[in-house]
Amino acid sequence: MQPNNAASIKPRKAVLAALLLPGVAIYVFITIIPLFTAFGYSLTNWAIGPNRDFIGFDNYVRLMGDSVFWQAFRNNLVIVAGNLIVQMGIAFLLTVLFMSRAMRGKEFHRTVIFLPVVLSAVVVGFIWQMVYSNNFGMLNAVLRSLNMDSLIRLWLDDPKQVIYSVTLPLIWQYLGVPLMIFMSAVQGISKEVYEVCEIDGATGVKKAIYITFPLIYSSMKVAVMLSISSNMLVFSHILVLTGGGPGTSSMVLALYSYSTSFTRMQLGYGSAIAIGVFILSFGLVLIFKKLAEVGQSE
Amino acid sequence: MKNKFLRIISLCLCAMLATAAFAACQSQSSDTAAPAQPAAPAADAPAADVPQSAGDAMTLNVMTLWARDNSENIPTALRARIAQFQEENPHVTVVEEGIGDQTAYYTRLTTLAAGNDLPDVFVSRGSELSMFAQAGVVAPLDDILNSRPAWRDGFVDGAFGDLTSNGSIYAIPYSMLSTHVIYYNSSLLSEAGFDSFPQTWPEFMDMIAKLNANGVTPIALGNREQWVANSCVLSTLGDRFTGSDWFRSIISGDGAQWTDPEFVSALAALQEMSNAGAFNSDMNSIDNDQQKTLFYNGSAAMFMEGSWAIGAVVDDAPADILAATKVAVLPAVNGGKGNPRSMSGGSGSGLAVGIGALQDDAKMAVIAEFLEFVLGEGYSMEIAAKGEPTAFSVTGYDKSNVSELAALYAEMASSLAFSPIYDSFLNPAVNGVINEGLQELLINVITPQDLAERIQAESNRN
Repeated sequence: MQPNNAASIKPRKAVLAALLLPGVAIYVFITIIPLFTAFGYSLTNWAIGPNRDFIGFDNYVRLMGDSVFWQAFRNNLVIVAGNLIVQMGIAFLLTVLFMSRAMRGKEFHRTVIFLPVVLSAVVVGFIWQMVYSNNFGMLNAVLRSLNMDSLIRLWLDDPKQVIYSVTLPLIWQYLGVPLMIFMSAVQGISKEVYEVCEIDGATGVKKAIYITFPLIYSSMKVAVMLSISSNMLVFSHILVLTGGGPGTSSMVLALYSYSTSFTRMQLGYGSAIAIGVFILSFGLVLIFKKLAEVGQSE
Repeated sequence: MKNKFLRIISLCLCAMLATAAFAACQSQSSDTAAPAQPAAPAADAPAADVPQSAGDAMTLNVMTLWARDNSENIPTALRARIAQFQEENPHVTVVEEGIGDQTAYYTRLTTLAAGNDLPDVFVSRGSELSMFAQAGVVAPLDDILNSRPAWRDGFVDGAFGDLTSNGSIYAIPYSMLSTHVIYYNSSLLSEAGFDSFPQTWPEFMDMIAKLNANGVTPIALGNREQWVANSCVLSTLGDRFTGSDWFRSIISGDGAQWTDPEFVSALAALQEMSNAGAFNSDMNSIDNDQQKTLFYNGSAAMFMEGSWAIGAVVDDAPADILAATKVAVLPAVNGGKGNPRSMSGGSGSGLAVGIGALQDDAKMAVIAEFLEFVLGEGYSMEIAAKGEPTAFSVTGYDKSNVSELAALYAEMASSLAFSPIYDSFLNPAVNGVINEGLQELLINVITPQDLAERIQAESNRN
């Protein structure tokens, strides 16, 4: 591709703006404007119907002391951490595996691993509800047939256990996403690099740590960022699996905002929670970005 | 070459976007316009029924709490009446939206209410209705009832009790129901040494221990959706301890507190039941359909649900289980202030009307006609013949088709009084705290005293 050719397909500014307009308009309409209206609502005691009174920052004061909100935040952090450590870890291992020549049927494995990503979250929730079911569940049946009855738990009923039980389906379903990102990054590494290090005597593990990892680091950052932002907003899986229960032990931020607004009809406070979620998630992504930059400059 | 390709791609994308945007605007405008000018008939209404004269043609949006394949008596009878109304009034297009999951249904309803966009006719409980009435998003139905005195006076005493707010009636009841019936498998009980249902609390707890010893789950509980423990268990158990006057005082806000020792003992009794192994261990992750399954397959001796479950048990239970199934209510508790011969019940829910219809006299007239036709004598005869307790009193219906179980229930109900259904009266936020708290109470995460204080704190906020 010659540079003059590239210049000729670059459209005029007006055309560019016109092409961008629909996308930007949709984004503004469904993301930016609701953010501001939600902030407006969060300053009121809106319950339902047309009446609402301005109550200043009372909702935020309540939010600060709301133990369920902070519990939900902790749960979100557990889910994020589980995904970052387990999901990214498995994805990286798989990437290394996929690169090795010994691996057979790469296409098949890739398809199978990616398949759950396109399933609806509600479907996944119901499937895992059946997997975890106490009497008829697949998981308990497998454990019983392996004579490991002592490992059987009340997967969705034990408040200490439940948050890990609901994290697993998320790890399973979205494993394909970081895997795809890592694979495409790995394919961008030129063959010569590997050939040279093989001549130098690097083996599988060393190749993975000293060559693959640093060279796909920037793609990993993207995958991590995506994972944080999507897991901070996780909703449908939990709604279907447990509805936040038992009690509030598997409550997550988005679900808490939703149920406060629409089940308990406290739309004002629900909006305050939504703004809180926005601030926390945004903060988390910013912190991660800072950390990643520090890591890279070293 | 590449240049051209890019251009074609971007053109296609633009065209797609434009069509999408256009379609979105289109569908939006036709949505809002639909009630006023029903030029396009709804998909499931035969086009021939819409007359050419657009003058009195209209669409009636109806939202109900029952899935399409629901086999319970009330939805079946109600749907048959709606279909008949549709047939006799071809100029009206009745569009019914049925949402089977109760939690999802009320979420949708309150979302519509928040936007002041409630459907023309919809099912609602008393607790939501009083919120809606306060916010002015539902229409009072006193005028409709008063202009039809024969219909109005046909309803049984107290039929409108749960559906009245500030002196106005906001919904027409479709049945008198109980939210607490203990369906029990008499053969499993007699195996445990109980030939009749226990009449005292110690006996009841003894039965739970003996059933457990026999390897049977005493009570199947499916509380994933959280309302079951509140509506079907606590409403009655609480009343046994506190008496109905206490609850009325809670509602009117004159004196009674959630932290009163009577109510705390009720919570303690529920926790004691759970600790004694009265319920299946996965009670918080299965729902009320699955609790019936445990009963049907004989692994549980009892389940607690409303009178609406009679139809489902008759339809779905295996013949031997159905033959052994009998009904009871919780026994008296020691030192309880409530009437032990009562169960939580009332009309509970009814058909209400969105405020939007009030703007349009012609529409209001059709709605009045619709309500009287659907919830009048014909409907009540039909459900009475199936053994359902009716809100509109009827006599001389055909009793030959009443199932044995329904007859058993009717016989029991005739000797019992109704006590208030908690979640029909309480504010949704307080209800939410109780529902969530009961899940924790049942698995010993919270003490009865702490839960009572939590409910009181939420109650103070509202």
